[in-house]
Amino acid sequence: MGEPRYVTLMTSLPHHGRLFGARQTPLSRFQLDKRLAWLDPDDREILGRIEDVLLWRRRLLEETDAGFLARVRDVIERTGNPLLCDIAQSRLEARTLIAALRRRRLGRAAPGPVERWGYGRWVTQISRRWNEADFGLGHVYPWAAEAEQRIREDDVVGLERLFLGHAWRELGRMGAGHYFDFEAVAVYVLRWDLINRWTRYDAGSARERILELAESGLADSQPTRH
Amino acid sequence: MNDLIITLGWAGVYAPVALGAIGSIIGCATAGQAAIGAMLDTESGYGRYVGISAMPSSQIIYGIVVMFTLNKPMTVENASGAFGIGVLSGLALLWSAARQGQCCASAIQASKAKPEIFGLALAPAAIVEGFAVFAFIFALVLSAGAQ
Repeated sequence: MGEPRYVTLMTSLPHHGRLFGARQTPLSRFQLDKRLAWLDPDDREILGRIEDVLLWRRRLLEETDAGFLARVRDVIERTGNPLLCDIAQSRLEARTLIAALRRRRLGRAAPGPVERWGYGRWVTQISRRWNEADFGLGHVYPWAAEAEQRIREDDVVGLERLFLGHAWRELGRMGAGHYFDFEAVAVYVLRWDLINRWTRYDAGSARERILELAESGLADSQPTRH
Repeated sequence: MNDLIITLGWAGVYAPVALGAIGSIIGCATAGQAAIGAMLDTESGYGRYVGISAMPSSQIIYGIVVMFTLNKPMTVENASGAFGIGVLSGLALLWSAARQGQCCASAIQASKAKPEIFGLALAPAAIVEGFAVFAFIFALVLSAGAQ
């Protein structure tokens, strides 16, 4: 049974609709933050940290991959909420895959120590199966081959669409069964972030950023940052 | 020992009201909070949200009726029957009201996004109500048979 405050909070939030059909977010960030003020300060802080890691909102170009990964591990360790940890890990693992595809596209013959710029369960496999099109991860990420093709064709928008679609589905899958609790609120906010990212997407500036970030690892998989 | 049995009998008489009231409180509070949240996000339809949130109040009414049917001169012979019928029907009413409140909250949430499913969204709450009615009716049947 959900906590009462989450019932009111969840029903006060407008329905998201579909990710790629949206022309704008269902409510403004200002309004969303006002509603989120009903959360416990601790829950709000946890959610903020996860958003920060997943959005790279405050990530500076000067922050190294090692620094970022240390921050990710710290956030996941301190979060303490199993679902939010799973969501963060899943998203960062998908980013690691895209980062690897990009690095290979840049002509890197050998991946080097993947754990220095990648995160999650697949770093060893990516390193071992560097020369396979999808690093042998096609069964986990059925869209890996298509992502590889998008990168080869320099189709930034298509790649963004693939990645956001994957993130959207993962949130739906992981959030299933949560209706009126903190996890439901977190999934709502993270989906809001995805809609916000897609509706504010600018292919031109994204391409520029990718060029700026091409030498870094996980950053490669983040065409737009807000 | 007989005094204890008689006491439990009286507890059974009052249990449907007390447990039904607790369930209705939980259910109406849950659905009511959903209605309040929905009002923040919509410009109309407030009345029907509040109406839905009152659905779990029927269980307390069932509880009152069961209490009156159990309210007979208490003896050692009929006290255990009153205790069993009262407590178990009360628990069924409590649980159904609490869960019905969640169904109502979900119905409010869903119909807010898609007003055309308003009637259909209430079906789960109505089904839960049906189970409460079963508990209520058979409590009446059994208590009528108990001397």
